[in-house]
Amino acid sequence: MFEIAHSGDGRILIAGRLDAARAPRAQEFLDQLTGPCMLDLGGLEYISSAGLGVLLKTHKRLMGAGDGLRLINVNSHINDIFTYSGFDRLFDIQAATATE
Amino acid sequence: MEQKFQRDLNELSRIVAFSDAFFASEAVDPTLRNIVELCVEELFVNLVTYNRETSEEILITLESNGKDEGEGEGIRVSLTDYNVDRFDPRSAPSPNVEAPLEERTPGGLGLYLVMKMADAIQYEYLDRTSKITFVKNGNSQHV
Repeated sequence: MFEIAHSGDGRILIAGRLDAARAPRAQEFLDQLTGPCMLDLGGLEYISSAGLGVLLKTHKRLMGAGDGLRLINVNSHINDIFTYSGFDRLFDIQAATATE
Repeated sequence: MEQKFQRDLNELSRIVAFSDAFFASEAVDPTLRNIVELCVEELFVNLVTYNRETSEEILITLESNGKDEGEGEGIRVSLTDYNVDRFDPRSAPSPNVEAPLEERTPGGLGLYLVMKMADAIQYEYLDRTSKITFVKNGNSQHV
């Protein structure tokens, strides 16, 4: 299962498994975004390097215009993947326990 | 427990189902599941992406790996690819994960994550058959 959608309150909701098979769909969705964006990853159970690549590509594109991605509601497993990948240095990341 | 998979990224959902069935039937530490699925995906995608000279299916084998006292049951995972050139994933260059955003590019993280997360990785190559095996111990530091 993988879902990506606008929440209606400005967030982008991503849920399920963002793997190599789903990454093209996520990239297609995120390529439409402009301005500063908040990705709510509260429902994201799994991410692989293909998903990391989608986030990185989108973040770089938005940062080029002075904006960028903010990642919120990040669970501990996903957060550890971000840390291993050095994404904690690149993104504004908010852990799940620090939100709501 | 073993199963063959076609060289297609859409097989990832079947691989997850295969892994889930293994974890449901074996006494392996369940907290290893995400790590194992990540490592299997990264290795599988690497084989599918770069070993384009063959159309043979990829064999994935999952086995319990025993445990020491006080530890959960670990897992040993092998991916066997047939009729391919030699490529030892341990020799892949590591990305600079400390580089600033402008120097980062998508790609290169997959095998790096496997090397970081697996407790041991072995590579065998014989008669154009490539076999990558990784071990994840139970109750070790999880991500």
